[in-house]
Order: sequence, then C-alpha cells, then structure tokens
Amino acid sequence: MLAIEARDVTKTYGEGRLAVPVLRGVSLSVARGEVVALEGPSGSGKTTLLCILGCLLTPSSGRIAIDGQDVDPHRADRLWKVRRRSIGFVFQQFNLFPSLTATENVQYTLNLRGWRGRKATREADRVLDQVGLGHRKDFRPRDLSGGQKQRVAVARALAGSAPLILADEPTGNLDSEAGAQVLDLFRSLAKVENRGLMIVTHDPSVRSIADRVISIRDGQLTTGEAN
Amino acid sequence: MVDLALKMILDDKTRFAITVLGVGFAVALVLTQVGLFFGLLDNASVTIDRLDADLWVTARNTPNVDFANPFPESYVQRVRSVPGVTRADNLIVWYAIVSLPSGAKEQVVYYGLENFPLWNFPWDVASGDPSDLRRGRYVMLDESAERRFGAFEAGDYREFLGRRLKIIGKTRGARSFTTSPIAFVDYGLAQALAPDELEGRTTFVIVKLDPNADPIAVAAEIRRRLPYNDVYTKADWASASQHYWIESTGLGLTIFLTVFLGALVGVVIVAQTLYASVAEHLSEFGTVKALGGRNLDVYGIIAEQATFAAALGYGVGFLFAQALGPVLEQLDMRMIITPTVYVMVFVGTLALCLAASALSFRKVASLDPAIVFRG
Repeated sequence: MLAIEARDVTKTYGEGRLAVPVLRGVSLSVARGEVVALEGPSGSGKTTLLCILGCLLTPSSGRIAIDGQDVDPHRADRLWKVRRRSIGFVFQQFNLFPSLTATENVQYTLNLRGWRGRKATREADRVLDQVGLGHRKDFRPRDLSGGQKQRVAVARALAGSAPLILADEPTGNLDSEAGAQVLDLFRSLAKVENRGLMIVTHDPSVRSIADRVISIRDGQLTTGEAN
Repeated sequence: MVDLALKMILDDKTRFAITVLGVGFAVALVLTQVGLFFGLLDNASVTIDRLDADLWVTARNTPNVDFANPFPESYVQRVRSVPGVTRADNLIVWYAIVSLPSGAKEQVVYYGLENFPLWNFPWDVASGDPSDLRRGRYVMLDESAERRFGAFEAGDYREFLGRRLKIIGKTRGARSFTTSPIAFVDYGLAQALAPDELEGRTTFVIVKLDPNADPIAVAAEIRRRLPYNDVYTKADWASASQHYWIESTGLGLTIFLTVFLGALVGVVIVAQTLYASVAEHLSEFGTVKALGGRNLDVYGIIAEQATFAAALGYGVGFLFAQALGPVLEQLDMRMIITPTVYVMVFVGTLALCLAASALSFRKVASLDPAIVFRG
C-alpha cells in the first residue's frame, strides 16, 4: 500500500508575466515501510514539494493521495485534518515546544490527534522508549542534546498511527555520530512500524539508509521516479 | 490533556508577572474609583434611604436633599388630609455655621424633626437618645464630624449660629455629599437657628403611607392639593439627589474617564505583552498548525492565556481594593462595592483581555504553517 502518491504535481507562484513555476509535473510515490531520500540543490523545489506532500500547501495542479485517499486541494481549509490524521513531521530545527517535557511534546501531538488521558500517556511512553529516551521523559528540550531532541521529534512523528512521515534535513543540526544514530533509528522504526518515510536532505549519509533516492532539479525529478 | 497555553505563558514568569500586575493595577483602579463613586453617591442619598418616609414633598425645583428651599409649614395639614397618608411631618434640612473651641468655624447640615423616633431617624445611634432632642437646646452630632470639629463628647457645648447647644449624643454613618457633618436638632430649634428664613416655614414634608395605599396615586393627589410643590417617592427623590451631583459636578464624567483609562491601561498592557509573547513563540504556533492544529486551536491557546491573565490580574486587583478599603475609611472616604460591581468588573476584565488578544489572533491567523520548513 502506498503511504503517499503524487501525480503530475505543479506549483507556480505569481501570475502572468510574474509567474514563477517551481514544480513542473512531479510524480512520485512512497510505499508503507519504504524509506525514500529526496535530494536536490537549493532552489530546486524540494521544500515546495515537501510542503505540498505534507498538505501545508496546495498544488497548482495535480493529484495527491495519502494512504490511498485523495486529498482535495480545493479544500485548503480542511488540510489540517489530513495533517493531523495521516502525517508525522520531523524538522531540521526540531520544533519541539520548549515549555513542555519530552513526554508532553509527544502527548500534545497525540491530543491533537484525539488521543486522551492514559491512552495518550502510554503511547507517548512507548514511542519514547522506542527511540531510547525512556530515561529522559521528563526533561525539557533545553536539557537535552541535539541528538536527543531529534529523537523526541522522531517519537512525536511516530506517535499515533500516521502512515506517512516527512523529515526535513533531520540530521542538519546534528554531528555525524548523532546523525547516523538518528538515521538508523529512523529507518528501523519506519520498517518495524510499517510507515512510509521520505527524508529531504543534503546529507550523503542518508543515501545509505534509503531504499530509494529521488533527485529534483529545477522543479523536475531527475532520478528515481518518472516525471 | 497537555495544557500548552499555560505551560507556554508560565515559561516566561517575569513577562507573565508584569501582565498580571498590569491587569491587577487596572482592576484595582477601576474597583477603587467605582467604589468611591458609589460611596459618594450613597452620601448624597443616605438620609433619604434611611428615613422611614414613603413620599417627600419639596419646594418646587428643589435639586437635592442638601439644597432645600423653604415653604409654609402649614402645607403639612393639607398633606395629612390626603387619603392613604398615615402620618406627615415637617422636616427641616438647613445649613449652620458652628464655632469651634479653637476659634475656627465649620459648616454643618442639620436635620430638624419634632419626633425623631417615629421616623427611625437617625438610624444608627452611638450614644444618647434622639427623643431627648425636643427637651431643650440639644444637638446630636455624627461621629464623622470629629475630623473637622475635633473630639467631642456628650455634655460638651458648641455654638451653632451664635447659640450654645449641648451635645447629647453621637450618631454613625450620617454624612452629606458635600462632606459637611450632619447634626440632628428639634424642629422648633431648627427654625429658631435661622428665623429669617425658617420662621413658620419648613423645607420638606415627609409622608408615611398606609400599607395598602398606592404611592403614585397618593403622590398625584398631594400634587393636586399643593400645585406649587414637588412630590417624590422615596426612590425617585434619592435618585434625583444623586443625579444632581453626578450631573452638576461632572462626577459621572470623571468616574467614566477614570474607569475608561483604567480599562485602557489594562487592555494596552495585555495586548502588548500577549502580542510580544505570540511574536516570540511564532514558530511554536506554526508547529501547532503544521501538526494539524486549526486556527481555532491556536486561538484557544491565546484566549486561555488572556483568560488566565485576566483571572489572576482580577484577583490581584480585588485584593488590593479590599486592602485599600479600611485605609480609605480612616480618611472618611467610603468605598461601596456591591457583588454586582465585582461581577461586572470581572466580566469586563475578561472581555477586555480577550479583546486585547484579538491583535495576536490576527497575527497567528495569517501564519503559514509552512514556516516550519524554512528554518
């Protein structure tokens, strides 16, 4: 089953003579349990594609389906439902809530997804144990190392049952050792939990853990998927 | 449920303390000003409220109970003959100059009645017996006069308009809007103190009605029989006396401006600190949206923070106003804050804090959750 499928996705900013095409008919897919790396130079359209796949932005044309269900791009006001239900995010800057502990960071996302009370607490504990932070549950982000913060972010993305996880430069702020640990963890958990994982990166080490590598240049995929 | 709003706002305790103190200051200002306003208004009508009369007959266009105009005292006979009237008596309210032992002179408002106990007046007697007032040149003075007259006791003498009167007791809570102390004397003595204006004349006729009588109908009949006088029910006369002071002194406008400025201070402080807090946590709000939070969820966070600031700020202001009450009482300034006022100020504080957070709502409403991918 495909975690996500994109067909002929285009995105153009501006109109008329000021129109700037950023994506030019991108098609790709990520299956559940598959790890895909998306590479490309700055300005190639990576972030725009990631935003569209993450339902943070609507495409100018094309079709997106997540876990087999079409996303209606004309209902931009409903995209939050898709994000809440089906997508886990990992950001380069971690984007943890500094005032919340590791457990609370995970629990808050679960609360947004409708998980409440002990059910949410058990799930948060489970994923934090999985990422090896069972002993740091009550620590706030400021008391965690960069690698530990990113593990909390991974736990947050895995919490619940989102079929798709999108990671933006997850090793960008980590040293090579911590980065390698996070990538290994990411890969194994995506496989074990049968989630589709797309990692946008400049980091060559990501290639080693990816099942497939897709490259994008000037808004078009150049390798790994047909345009 | 993880309470992100609370955790976020408590993460910067200094900023939050400033917000709460700002709201508390505004609430204390509003409560104190409104309390003093009602305290002053109560002074303007306290004798009307306490005197056991259902109707008041005044000279035409008398503006309030303190500024009375004389009219023939025989009019009381016409009032007594009206069906439904159980009792009607003349009441004199007039000013006198009192010579103090220090040589200074002070003004006093005196109330003259033939039979004080029948009208349950004065209503709070600290010492002495009002029924003794008719026995001679006696006077009872309110305790609040001590601030101006100096200490006095029963048995002391004071000179009222050149006549030596013996103080035979003290009352409590009898104050006038003008802050002149209130004295109580026999009706005949009240006339004798100002013979040029009051001989054969009174300033009010106070009326007690039969329990089954219709006050409006009886008032109309008195007006018919005394066409050159005004007739008020107790409530209308109290209201007229209060409105005179509100309108003629600009007191109402002053209080309105103070309350408005107090509220404005609170709104500005809350709006400024909330806006700064939202601007500082913008990436966190972006994360909430990216994780699937709606605008409503983000509004909820900001609204909860505003509500929390309002509730705590109100508590601070409430405690401050409570502590200030006894201090002001020592200075002869009474604050009257009814439960309704407390509730209204709380609701107003909450509403204004939420309104102040509207600026922050606008900022996050337009926030693009894709900022999370832009470093």
